[in-house]
Amino acid sequence: MKVDILRQRGPEEAPYWERFDYGGPPDASVAGVLDWLNYHDDMVNDKGERTGRIGWECSCLQSVCGACAMVVNGAPVLACETFLRDLKGDTLTIEPLRKFPTVRDLIMDRSVIRDQLRETGMFIGAYRPGGDGDHAHQYAAAKCLKCGLCLEVCPNYVSGNTFFGAAFANDCYLVAARNREKSKEIGAHYAAHFGAACSKSLSCMAVCPMHIPTLASIAKLNRRTR
Amino acid sequence: MREVLIIGSGIAGMACAIRCAELGMHVTLASPYPSERAQSVMAAGGINAVTADCEPGDSVACHIADTLRGGADLAGEQAVAGLCAHAGEILQYLEQIGTVFSVDAAGRPMRRAFGGQSHKRTHYCGAGTGKLMVSALVMEVRRWEAAGRVQRRLRCTFHSALLRDGVCRGALLFDEATRSLEPVCADATVIATGGQNGLFGKTTGSALCDGYAAGMLFLQGAELKNLEFIQYHPTTLETAQKRMLISEAVRGEGGRLFYLENGERVYFLEDKYGPGGNLMTRDVVSREMEATGRDVFLDVSFLDAGVIDARLPEVRDLCLKYRGIDIRREPIPVAPSVHFFMGGLAVGLNHETGLRNCFAAGECASIYHGANRLGGNSLLGAMYGARVAAEAIAGRAFPEDRPDFSKQVEARRAALEEKLASQSPFPAMYIRDMLAVTMREKLGIVRDEAGLRQGIADVDYDIAVAEQIKYDSSVSPYFNYSLTGILAAARATLSCALARRESRGAHYRCDFPERDEAQRFASVVAYEGGAYRVRLDREHAYES
Repeated sequence: MKVDILRQRGPEEAPYWERFDYGGPPDASVAGVLDWLNYHDDMVNDKGERTGRIGWECSCLQSVCGACAMVVNGAPVLACETFLRDLKGDTLTIEPLRKFPTVRDLIMDRSVIRDQLRETGMFIGAYRPGGDGDHAHQYAAAKCLKCGLCLEVCPNYVSGNTFFGAAFANDCYLVAARNREKSKEIGAHYAAHFGAACSKSLSCMAVCPMHIPTLASIAKLNRRTR
Repeated sequence: MREVLIIGSGIAGMACAIRCAELGMHVTLASPYPSERAQSVMAAGGINAVTADCEPGDSVACHIADTLRGGADLAGEQAVAGLCAHAGEILQYLEQIGTVFSVDAAGRPMRRAFGGQSHKRTHYCGAGTGKLMVSALVMEVRRWEAAGRVQRRLRCTFHSALLRDGVCRGALLFDEATRSLEPVCADATVIATGGQNGLFGKTTGSALCDGYAAGMLFLQGAELKNLEFIQYHPTTLETAQKRMLISEAVRGEGGRLFYLENGERVYFLEDKYGPGGNLMTRDVVSREMEATGRDVFLDVSFLDAGVIDARLPEVRDLCLKYRGIDIRREPIPVAPSVHFFMGGLAVGLNHETGLRNCFAAGECASIYHGANRLGGNSLLGAMYGARVAAEAIAGRAFPEDRPDFSKQVEARRAALEEKLASQSPFPAMYIRDMLAVTMREKLGIVRDEAGLRQGIADVDYDIAVAEQIKYDSSVSPYFNYSLTGILAAARATLSCALARRESRGAHYRCDFPERDEAQRFASVVAYEGGAYRVRLDREHAYES
């Protein structure tokens, strides 16, 4: 199988495609493919030319940490839970998420997600649970991996823009649910950085590896902050 | 303002950062990745605490007794008493910062029991307790970041401690952004880098936890403790990429372990230990599974599918996704795998290591779990230890001077540059893999002297090779320079296992199968001029 990878040597360098031959197990995950390609004495591309090992991030390898988010055959996914058997075609293409600056190969700088949450003061502070006792939804929303897949797929999210996307909306909900006194402040941030620009494509929910029902967060926040 | 450097941003690192900030200190929280990637998010089971509305008959004294007995009487009583006495308060704190614990229809907290517990006292958040705690702690750290008390430094890995006259004055970090070693001076340094999984290759844990920091500090003079006690989790599932943990909650819900003989199921644990056999402590279950010499299966298919869907959805999904096994219809093939390290950096009751002003908390520190950890006590230990360390730092007077480390920094930079200035394609991962084979073979569930001696010879060879090679410059320099510390941690672990000539808790020697009360002390290993010296801590130097 041929594997095309969009590579980049460093943050300031130009990206380029490199093709590899994969001869590992046919039921591997994309994470397994990357490990297989890297695990050789001499790292070579499909032309037999020597090349550097492919950079990518991984930690848990069981889809609970979000490190290995990337674009596989055009779809934003976690590499560890995407299997060759489920992919179509005889060429695999792998790219980094394009809405974040590339650090190297498939490693992105996703710190914008955290920066936006910090800059808007998205923390509970005093614990004053509000009327929303939707325990199940709080549990679901708190499982967000901050992996960035929802931002990659979102038609409204553009890096550097004022629209912060689904990961932001879910944290807004969590804070509002636990500190009713912050509701107003959260509501203003939510309106400025989410509510006004979300076109409700809900593509974020389709790609979320934690299956977070972001629509429920949106509905609750719209009610709360109306 | 007092400066604290915390290395590692999982649950222990974040809890320590928050407490330090609350106590008026300034924290640099350094880690290679954001907290969401930490191994802490994989902790599935729960956190133990005796609360005001506990199960009838339960008490803090019961929690202490269970912990000490589960740890095969090796943990310090004073340390464990502190841990258990503060558990209720920690649980309340976690709730207040927004951890979403599972509650019943009336809003009362749900509890389960893990192996070795006399009462149900494990509080949990579905099957994602660690993840939910991380989410809450991240928000609370964010609050202190906004207040200017905590500064996160991402893409930074530990390189070495900065020491002056045996006192730790900060650390040298490798910064991936500048690709250079950067000194960070601090009054106190806290190591919160997790367990030593990486020594064993494929385990249930994160690929990022490799034991390097503990190994490097050991080479710099810190002592390590109880390294031979390695918890094998009895129920893990083999997949192509790693061993997946099948939570003890499966057995807590009634799951049964069996093997097949002439087509018949043999429930070997129930046969030997009675109806509660499947919930014996992890060390016992792992050893009994190994002793069968057969493929073992874990069955919950007899439970109502609705119960499985409601209580074990994560286990159901994991088996289906990674192995195509539907646990509602068929048993799960399971085998024990390395899961948790009771041993690590030796710390005193205040969580200080042997290096003054260098503290450790979480799995990288060895203190509460003795020879075997009870399920639900690791998250508690991480939270409690982190707070103890922060409070010890707050109460200490630190030297006023700022020593000049420029010579040491330049020397270490030059040494790293020299190793990196190469086109060598030799991958460090080959040595890591050779090491993992040795460790899995020689430090399995059953050990013996000949095997351990061979293991030491093998690791000594790996160390000699690692000293010779140049680095493959197309991977992270950390992946290369970390070999030194990882190999030292491995060699120290084998030395401890060889020195303990008895069987206790998770350490089983087939040549010394009995417990020997004369060895009822922690083992401590020190690095002295190239030698690995192991002693029993008869004077309780660390935990009294």
